[in-house]
Amino acid sequence: MTSDSAAAATEAIVRRAGERFDANWRNVCAATDRFFAKLMVGQWLFAILIALTFSPYGWEGKVKNVHMHVWIAVLLGAIVASLPIFLARARPGWVGTRHVIAVAMMLFSGLLIHLSGGRIETHFHIFGALGILAFYRDWPVIVTATAVTGVDHLVRGIVWPESVYGILHPEWWRFLEHVFWVLFAAIGLSISCVRSLKEMRTIAERGAEIEALAEGEWRKSSVVERDALGTTA
Amino acid sequence: MAIALWVAALGIGFLALWRYEATPGARGGPPGQWPATSAIEPLQGVSTLVMFAHPQCVCTRASLAELARLKGRFEGRLAAYVVVLRPRDAGEEWDRSDLWDKAAGIPGVTVRRDVDGLEAERFGVFTSGHTLVYDGRGRLLFSGGLTAARGREGEAKSARQIAALLTTGKAERDVSPVFGCALRHGAAPISTDE
Repeated sequence: MTSDSAAAATEAIVRRAGERFDANWRNVCAATDRFFAKLMVGQWLFAILIALTFSPYGWEGKVKNVHMHVWIAVLLGAIVASLPIFLARARPGWVGTRHVIAVAMMLFSGLLIHLSGGRIETHFHIFGALGILAFYRDWPVIVTATAVTGVDHLVRGIVWPESVYGILHPEWWRFLEHVFWVLFAAIGLSISCVRSLKEMRTIAERGAEIEALAEGEWRKSSVVERDALGTTA
Repeated sequence: MAIALWVAALGIGFLALWRYEATPGARGGPPGQWPATSAIEPLQGVSTLVMFAHPQCVCTRASLAELARLKGRFEGRLAAYVVVLRPRDAGEEWDRSDLWDKAAGIPGVTVRRDVDGLEAERFGVFTSGHTLVYDGRGRLLFSGGLTAARGREGEAKSARQIAALLTTGKAERDVSPVFGCALRHGAAPISTDE
């Protein structure tokens, strides 16, 4: 093999490795988009269930009406879930789809916290959502989700601290404490995403090398077979 | 385009939620002196707190949690009543909700039934969770809610106001918004701008 043909063969392996990696990651992201589309429906129904459990009716004396929280869960929950579900079906694997899903997951965290009456336990949804978003193996998605929940804590901490921290006058550093723990999870998950992609690249490269070896073997055997056929003829 | 529409719809939705949570109920007009026609007896020499409650109002659970904190802090120095609404034509068990049990479970709190909201009317109260504090001589010290928003537990400004009134006799404000269900049909919530 000449040096030119060796370089061409290496280039072909690198190109093929890139194609294998891209196709595999696209499949991972598209499958995760579809998973989130189902999760969005589940979260929407869960939000309605929470509203019906915690606050089914509003009252005026003896007269009862469906509580505002039920309408909020039905309508606002549907709005939050709508675009992620649409994009997961129309544009699975697109980078914008997973960022919209990341935003929607954090909005669902806020909505569920609200509907459960600010229960501190419902804040765990944020960490669960970050963990599931790591299925994409795409660290910028984790950054988007972290930014949304950070802005939410910052803004609500200024205009309505009681709704996010449970007390009216939190210490000035309370925002930093909440963000620190979210960042703690986000950094760990981002490192995991980077490592996971690195592994996927390695697997893609090995796959491309095996493909090239197999192709070389096939060509060699084809030449031998042709020669053998030529000799017998 | 779809993303812009989504963001706009989200903004409207969350704004509606925020407005609902932050809009208090009807403010009412409690008398400056303990009403003589009331069947509830104030305790002489100590301050008396009266909270009016709708037995089915989920928001009032948070008000009761705040009352429990306040009562624990001023044990022996604050008499407390929770007055629970029961419309005349409602069933016998209509007012015996978990809210009644929760109120009855707070040490030192007496729960009273308010048939047809007569006591609420005497005290000029329209919203569940509305709390009044009268001093030992029957003068109104505080009127308002104990929570900072609808159904939210946590340290609200009103709890600190009551604490200040009970310890020093002075507070920044002696009126707070009330978040809860209407005690009678037609008592519409007031605007947040008021």
